Amino acid sequence: MKNYLVRQKDILSEAEEKSLENLNIMIAGAGGLGTNQAVQFQRLGVNKIYLYDYDKVELSNLNRQICYGRNDVGRYKVDAAADFLNYFGLDTKIIPCRKKIKKNLDLPQDIDIIMDAFDNFPSRFILEELAVENNIPMVHGGIEGWFGQVMNIIPGRTVLLKDVFAGSENDKKPAVISPAVSIIANYQVVEAVKIVLEKSDILIDKLMLINVLTGEIEKIDIKR
Amino acid sequence: MSVKVKFYSLFKLNLKSSGIEYEINSPITASDLIKKLDEDFNGYFSEKLLEAGTITPGSIILINGQNIFHIDRLNSKINDGDTVTLFPPSAGG
Repeated sequence: MKNYLVRQKDILSEAEEKSLENLNIMIAGAGGLGTNQAVQFQRLGVNKIYLYDYDKVELSNLNRQICYGRNDVGRYKVDAAADFLNYFGLDTKIIPCRKKIKKNLDLPQDIDIIMDAFDNFPSRFILEELAVENNIPMVHGGIEGWFGQVMNIIPGRTVLLKDVFAGSENDKKPAVISPAVSIIANYQVVEAVKIVLEKSDILIDKLMLINVLTGEIEKIDIKR
Repeated sequence: MSVKVKFYSLFKLNLKSSGIEYEINSPITASDLIKKLDEDFNGYFSEKLLEAGTITPGSIILINGQNIFHIDRLNSKINDGDTVTLFPPSAGG
């Protein structure tokens, strides 16, 4: 075990700890959800984070994208995020991938789980196709105002995002606020950990709807 | 038996209601349901869910957990005992 992980020792078994230390994550999108997820996975001590984004940091990102500051405006997000995360001197390897997620994209062969950190459904549907093609579990999260949702897509086992969210594509830029973004990102990370550790209460064919303002969390049954 | 309609997220917040139940004598369509809801909620649902006679992009209507896009859209049948779920999905990140 890495010496800086000693405080999570009593929460995870030795085998679970090992699983996390060997874990390779792909985060698709280095925005609000993605930067929060990256920080959490690094603190969990995972092996590798592939961080995908082709955009540059804009001033309007700074209300929620926690790896960036004013001095990063104009830089590629993945480069700025890698610098931010590497500053901490922890062991997780951060691999910036300045690429757009598109159909038939070749993914690294050692990815264990894909984190949806996009801000629109058309991109999510493409990401889901990649997850299914490569048989890699994906954890979806979305946020708008004080509301968000989380759902697991396990190829061959669960309902797909395109089943539930068909018709969700629109051109609106949703309002987003940092604490709500962080909460959804963190629930996604927890679901990813549960999938990897094969916990019994994984979200399977269930959509978790979260009202951050009231603290209500509801799980609804979904099907194809 | 009845049809249970459940509201989530912004719909629940705006309407201060988590849902409503309707007794039905025969199957109705999703369109019929929206008309019923409009009567009880002052036209709220056709404003939120419909645009030029079709489903507004960015609205989710599930019948027993299945998106009506994959059934017969607004003509999808709702039967006695069904649960209909309505919510605006959160798209941002």
